[in-house]
Amino acid sequence: MNKLNYFLTALLGLSMQFAFAQTPKGSVLIKNATVLTVTNGTLENTDVLVEDGVIKRIAQDISAPNGVETIDATGKYVMPGIIDAHSHVALDVVNEATNPIVAEVRMKDVVNPYEIGIYRALAGGVTISHAMHGSANVIGGQNATLKHRWGSTDPADIIMQDAPRTIKFALGENPTRVHGRGNGIQPRSRMGVEAILRNGFSEALQYKKAWETYESSKDERGSTAVAPKYNERLQTLVDILDGKIIIHCHSYRADEIYMLINVARDFGITKLVFQHTNEGFKVAPEIAEYTMGASVFADWWAYKFEVYYSTAFNAAILQKNGALTSINSDSAELIRHLYHEAGKTQRYGGLTDDEALAMITINPAKQLGIDDKVGSLEEGKHADIAIFEGHPLSTYAVPQMTFVDGVKYFDIKEDPDDQRQRISATETVEPIYLGHEDHRCMQDTEHLFETANALFNTEK
Amino acid sequence: MKRTLLKASVLGMMLAGVLGWDQAYGQSDPTGKKQVTSTYAITNATVFANASSSGSKATVLIKDGVIKAIGSNISLPAEAQEIKGDSLFIYPGFIDGASRAGITRPEDPKRPDNFVSSNPPDEIAGITPWRNALDQFSIKSSQVDDLRKAGFTLAQILPDGGMIAGKSAIVVLGDESSTNLVKENSGLAASLQGSRGMYPGTAVGVMAKFRDVYKNTELTQERIAKFTSSTGISRPEMTPTYMGMSDVVDGQVPVVFTVGNDLEVRRAISLQEELGFNLVLTGLEEYDAVIDLIKSSGTKVLIKLEIPDDKAIKAQKEDVNEDVKAQYEKVKEAYDLAISQAGKLEKAGVPFAFTTVGAQASDISKAITKMMEAGLSKEGAIAALTSNAASILGIERIAGTLDNGKMANMVITTGPIFEEDSQIKHVVVDGKIFDYEISKKKNGKDDGKAVDPSGNWTYTSETPAGSSGGNFTIEKSDSDLSGEITYDDPQGGGETSSPLKEIEVSGSNLSFSFGVNAGGMSLDVKVSGEINGDTMSGNMTITDFGSYSITANRTPSLIAKK
Repeated sequence: MNKLNYFLTALLGLSMQFAFAQTPKGSVLIKNATVLTVTNGTLENTDVLVEDGVIKRIAQDISAPNGVETIDATGKYVMPGIIDAHSHVALDVVNEATNPIVAEVRMKDVVNPYEIGIYRALAGGVTISHAMHGSANVIGGQNATLKHRWGSTDPADIIMQDAPRTIKFALGENPTRVHGRGNGIQPRSRMGVEAILRNGFSEALQYKKAWETYESSKDERGSTAVAPKYNERLQTLVDILDGKIIIHCHSYRADEIYMLINVARDFGITKLVFQHTNEGFKVAPEIAEYTMGASVFADWWAYKFEVYYSTAFNAAILQKNGALTSINSDSAELIRHLYHEAGKTQRYGGLTDDEALAMITINPAKQLGIDDKVGSLEEGKHADIAIFEGHPLSTYAVPQMTFVDGVKYFDIKEDPDDQRQRISATETVEPIYLGHEDHRCMQDTEHLFETANALFNTEK
Repeated sequence: MKRTLLKASVLGMMLAGVLGWDQAYGQSDPTGKKQVTSTYAITNATVFANASSSGSKATVLIKDGVIKAIGSNISLPAEAQEIKGDSLFIYPGFIDGASRAGITRPEDPKRPDNFVSSNPPDEIAGITPWRNALDQFSIKSSQVDDLRKAGFTLAQILPDGGMIAGKSAIVVLGDESSTNLVKENSGLAASLQGSRGMYPGTAVGVMAKFRDVYKNTELTQERIAKFTSSTGISRPEMTPTYMGMSDVVDGQVPVVFTVGNDLEVRRAISLQEELGFNLVLTGLEEYDAVIDLIKSSGTKVLIKLEIPDDKAIKAQKEDVNEDVKAQYEKVKEAYDLAISQAGKLEKAGVPFAFTTVGAQASDISKAITKMMEAGLSKEGAIAALTSNAASILGIERIAGTLDNGKMANMVITTGPIFEEDSQIKHVVVDGKIFDYEISKKKNGKDDGKAVDPSGNWTYTSETPAGSSGGNFTIEKSDSDLSGEITYDDPQGGGETSSPLKEIEVSGSNLSFSFGVNAGGMSLDVKVSGEINGDTMSGNMTITDFGSYSITANRTPSLIAKK
C-alpha cells in the first residue's frame, strides 16, 4: 500500500477489497478546453463530462453534477489518452528466448504493476501500453494490453481485461541470431523463419484435427479413442488460425514482411499487424490490402544491419497508401514523448493534426482491437484522457494531467520527486541530480582517445 | 560444481568424526554413548503446553519418544531419569514448515549427446517430481545441528532442484542412527525458477510449462484408467514426470510453492485457481500487499524466518541534505514494513508458520524478536513455530503442542522464551535429550560499558574436520575498529588472510565477519563470541555450511594497561 493508493481509496470512497474486485472509476468535468477528439475534429471552448469512468458528454457549457470535481482547462488541450502499441514496460520477464516458438507463454503472468515506467508513461499522457513479449522467437508469447492504473498492487488491475488476445511474432535477425547462430537450430536464415511458421501452423492444424477426432468419437459405443497430448503452444496457434488472436509481428525488411503476408494468406489469417516495419514503405499497398497495418518508429534506424534502409517518411507513406499506421515507442524513455514522435509525421510527410494524432490514439487502438472503447474522445468511450499545455504536436507541449477511466493518475502540479512504490529495506538509492557538471563538452568521448593512448603511452 | 565438492568434503569430514553413534552393541558399549534409559521426567518445570498457555508448574514424563503424562502428581517409574526442571521452562518443540537443512543438491545429470536446449529432457530442465528429499538428506549435517540448537525438532525437508524439484518429507531432527522419517511425500516442491540456458528459462516459461505438465498428467491418468479397464486402447505413455505428479493431481499431496514477494504469491495462486491443486506457499518475504488475498483464498503460508539486514539503515549518515534524508526515511519505512508483516498476518487471522530455507539458524531468535517488536504477539510467534506449522503439515495429531500421547518434542529454556537472557538448555526430539551449554553471562553486562577487543588474538575453531586456527588482530583508532584474520587457505598452500568487516562490540560480545575465497566461491564467515578478560568463546558461522565453536586468547600486551 502506498500513499497514492491511500489517497485514491479515500478520494473514491472505495475499500481496498472493492478495488480488488473492480478497478477504480472516476467522475470529472473538464471545462473550456480545446478538445482534440481525433475522430470528430477539434472543438474549441468545449467541456468534457466524465461520469463513473465513461465520457458522458462533450459539449459547451456543461454544468457539473453534484459532487463532480471541475477542472478549468482554459487555454489547454484535451486529447484521448495516448496508446503505445509496442512496449515492454511493467513486465518482470520479456523474453522466454529458449524455443523458436513459445506461443504458450503469457505476459499476463508476469505483469508488474509497481514498475516506475508506468508513472513515467502517464507523465507523457500515455494511458494504455501493449506489453509485448520480446523478439527472440519466431513466434513469441502472448502479450498483455495494460491500462496505466498506477498505484495498483494487483497485476490484474492494470491488465485491460476486455482487450482481445494478441501475440508477438518476430522475423529476421533477432530469431535467426538467437536460435540459428546462438543455438545451432532452425531458423538460421529468413528461409528458416518462414519454415518455422509454416511448420508450426501445419502442426497446429493436425493438433486441431486430432482433438476434433477425439471429441467426436470418444462418446461412441466401444470407443477406443484416447485424448491426444495437450499442447498449449499448438492450441495457441490454432486460436490464431481461428481468428481469436491478433498477431503483432516484429519485422524490418520488405521481403520478410511480404513473406508473412503470404504465409498469413495461405493459412487464412487476417488479424495481423506489423511492428517496426522499417521497409514498410516498399510494400505499403500490400500491407494496406491484407493486414491491420503497421506500427512504426518515427525515425529510429541503423541500429543493426537489417534497419539501414529506412526513412522518416515511412509512417506517412504507409498512411497515404491506406495502411492503418501507428507510432510506437518500444522504449521506456520514448514512451514519455510519443506526442513528439507523432509530430514528426508532419515534418516528414505533412500529415494533418488529426492524422498525426491518430498515429498514437485511434490507430493503435484499432490494431489492438480496442477502438470501440478507447482511442478517441467520444461519448460512451472510456475516459482515458490527457490534458496538455500547448498543442500536443508542438515541440513546446507539456503534459499536465492524465486520466484513466476518469481517475487522475498524473498531475504535473502534484508530482512528488520519489514515486517509487517498491522500496528496498536493505539498499539506499542516492538522489540523482541533473545538470551539476560545470562542462560536459567532452563527456563520454574518452574512448576516442584510446588508440592514441595505446600507441604513445608506454606505461603499463 | 566446486560448491558441491566443497560441501561433499565438509560432509565427509563430519561423517568420519561421528560414525558409530548410538548403535546396538551385543555386550557393552565401548563408546559410552548408549542411552541408559528412554524414560525421562522433567520435574517441577514451568510448562507451556501450547501457544496460548500462560505456563504452569508441572512434571513432564516421556517414554520411548511419547509424552506419557503432564501434571503435578505423577508417580515416576523407577527407570525414569529425572531432570530437575525447577528453574526451567518447557515449550512444544519448534517445527520448520519447509527446510533445506541437511539437503545436498544432487548432481545434474549428464546432458545427452543430442541435447537441444529448446526441448530438453525433463530431468535436465528441473522437472523432477519423482525425486525424493530423503535421498538428498543427511541428519548428520551441521545445518541440522544448528536448526535443532535453535529449538527445532521437526521439519518438512524440501528437495533441492528446479521448477518441480520433487517430493518433500517430514522428519524429526533426531538421532543420527535413525531414519527420523515421520511422513514421506508430504508435498511436491515447486518454484518459478527457470532452467538456465534452456526451456523453460524464465518465470513466464515456467508457468506455461507447469500448466503443460499438470494438464498432461490429468490426461495420462485418464488414458491409464481406460487402458486398465477396457481392451483395444493404445498403451499410455507413463513418464516419471506424470507418475510423479499424479498424487498432486489427485489432490492427495499439496504443491509446496516457493515464492518471494506478493507478485509471486499471486502467480502461484493463479496457477492454483486455474488448475485446482492443493497449495502451500513457502518462502514469503514481501507479502504485505497480499495479506487479504492469502486470507480470502485460504492459502496456507510459510513465512521466511528472516528479517532484512539493517546495514543500509546503520550506514545512514547525519549530515545530509533534505533529499537524501527523504530517501533514508523511505528505506526506514520499508524496513519497518518488512518486519511488521508477520504481525499483520496474525491480526488478519491467517494461521501462518515459518520456513528456514535461506535463513541463518543463528539469526532466528533475533528475527522473531524483531517481528515481535513490530507487532507479532508472543502467542502468535509460538503458534507459528509449533501448532500452526503442525496443522499446515497435517501432523497436528502427533505434534505442535504438549499433550499426553504426542511426540516428545520439546524446547527447554532457562527463562521465558524469546526473552533476552533466556537460553535453550535442552531440546528434546522424539524422546532423545540434546543438551546445550548455557553461556554464563557476566553480571553487570548491561552496565553500558563495551569491552575493548583490540589486540592480537590466537584462535582455534572446532570443525568436524578437526581443529583449525590462526590469528586475528583488532586495532582501535578513536571509535573505529579494524582488523585482519589469518586462516588455512581452503585452496591449499598454507595460510591466507582477509580483512575483518562489520566489527561490532556490544557489552562483552564481539562480532565480525570476513570473506573467504574457496575455489572461486566467496564464503561469508561470521564470528560472534563473548569476551571475558583475555579469552573469547563463541561461534563461527559459514553461510550455507553450519556453525562451529571458536575460542580465542589474547596475546599479552607488553604495554601496561592504564
